[in-house]
Amino acid sequence: MRNVAAFVLLSVLAAGLLTGCGISLPADPERTLDRVRDGQLRVGVSTNAPWTETPDGAEPAGIEPNLVRGFAATLNARIQWSEGGEQKLVDELERGNLDLVVGGLTKDTPWSEKVAVTAPYAEVEDGHGETHKHVMATRPGENAFLVELEDFLAEHKPEVQP
Amino acid sequence: MSIRFGRTELPERQAQSLKKAIRFEWFSLGFLAVFIALVFLVMGNSQAMKAAWIEDLLSLAPPLAFLLAVRIVNRPPTRKYPYGHHRSVGVAHLVAGVALFTMGAFLVFDSASGLFTAEHPSIGSVQLFGHTVWLGWLMMGVMALSIPLPIYLGRVKMSLAKELHDKVLYADADMNKADWMTAVGTIVGVAGIGVGLWWTDSAAALLIAASILRDGVKNMGAAITDLMDTRATTFDSGEPHPLSAKIDGHLRSLPWVQEAGSRTRDQGHVLHVESFIVPRDGRGPSLEELEAARDACIDLDWKVQDIVLVPVTELPREVGGSSSDHQSERNR
Repeated sequence: MRNVAAFVLLSVLAAGLLTGCGISLPADPERTLDRVRDGQLRVGVSTNAPWTETPDGAEPAGIEPNLVRGFAATLNARIQWSEGGEQKLVDELERGNLDLVVGGLTKDTPWSEKVAVTAPYAEVEDGHGETHKHVMATRPGENAFLVELEDFLAEHKPEVQP
Repeated sequence: MSIRFGRTELPERQAQSLKKAIRFEWFSLGFLAVFIALVFLVMGNSQAMKAAWIEDLLSLAPPLAFLLAVRIVNRPPTRKYPYGHHRSVGVAHLVAGVALFTMGAFLVFDSASGLFTAEHPSIGSVQLFGHTVWLGWLMMGVMALSIPLPIYLGRVKMSLAKELHDKVLYADADMNKADWMTAVGTIVGVAGIGVGLWWTDSAAALLIAASILRDGVKNMGAAITDLMDTRATTFDSGEPHPLSAKIDGHLRSLPWVQEAGSRTRDQGHVLHVESFIVPRDGRGPSLEELEAARDACIDLDWKVQDIVLVPVTELPREVGGSSSDHQSERNR
């Protein structure tokens, strides 16, 4: 029973130390959130209307690019858009050359093996009686950035209408 | 259900212990079911949580094996099973050991590959009462909740295992210890992710996996040696069982006995004893003398029920005789 007491004491101390030093959980191993704040947000877009549209000679449009613009504004970040197929964008995201990928992805996306996906922020029923839960993809392991984005998406969930 | 192991009537004290053990194992199953569901809900992408969850699943095996075995050993010996059904404990022990070993090996590989390929675990958030809560907090909370009970259960089961000479119960108590250490490891791993150290999760998972693997090797080894009829040991497989020497001592104290030595094997809860006796002056004992000696040995301990006395001219070597010519079987 002494072990237990020691463990509880240690946990309390550790928790106190963490909050005392002002470290907020979770943190990013590669500091994505710190870099994006007041900096640049690198976003990959793969066309999938109405979620994402990439008109020639204009900025990406659609539900998800609009959400991303709103998210970037909360962090005071400029957006650098990259267009391409999902495979290429996910590879770049995994390598850390992108921070975020949108393309009408759903919770069941096989890419979730390679990169992080957000909690669903919209649910849409298709004509076949199946419900699709829409998500965005972020760089794997960058948990502070992921949670920040999820927090933003949760707030704007009611506004999303496909 | 009358309180007995096969034909062995349990003394009052052991009967109470068995009832208590059965109650505790049912309670363990309930507790595990709740935690397996809770951990599954908050498991997310953490490798350490996955390892902890699988360990919880595997922890179901020893209590199930115990509860099944106490039902089966209850059956008395029959013509088809002349030694009774005690060995079902050994079979259950082996099955649990192999399950532990296999899962441990798989998890070691899985966690090590996560560490080598530098997989960065992603743990997002959930919405709770309108707040965004990092899932890691919930993981650590569930794990912290799962610490106190296994410590208590492990202690109680350990003393019951000693009382009942039950190795499955011992394996279970040992596993309860691994359970709470797993929980501590998982908390450290997830907290590491929280402060931005991606590798703590896989490293914690690797440690947990190694401890599962170690349990597996230990239990599999003990079960196999028992099934190989190794000499009977104490409930923790630590040392030779003292009853063997006690029986020999009692037999040697009889006036008609010159020398005595026993082979003892562990049938599960009870021991199966074959005692070789060299009578004094080469004079064969009467049936009455033999039966009296047998009953006295049975009265030494409840674990002795199945005992065979064999008068011989010289002790076989494996029970202390000197000549290698004399073996228990005749094979020269």
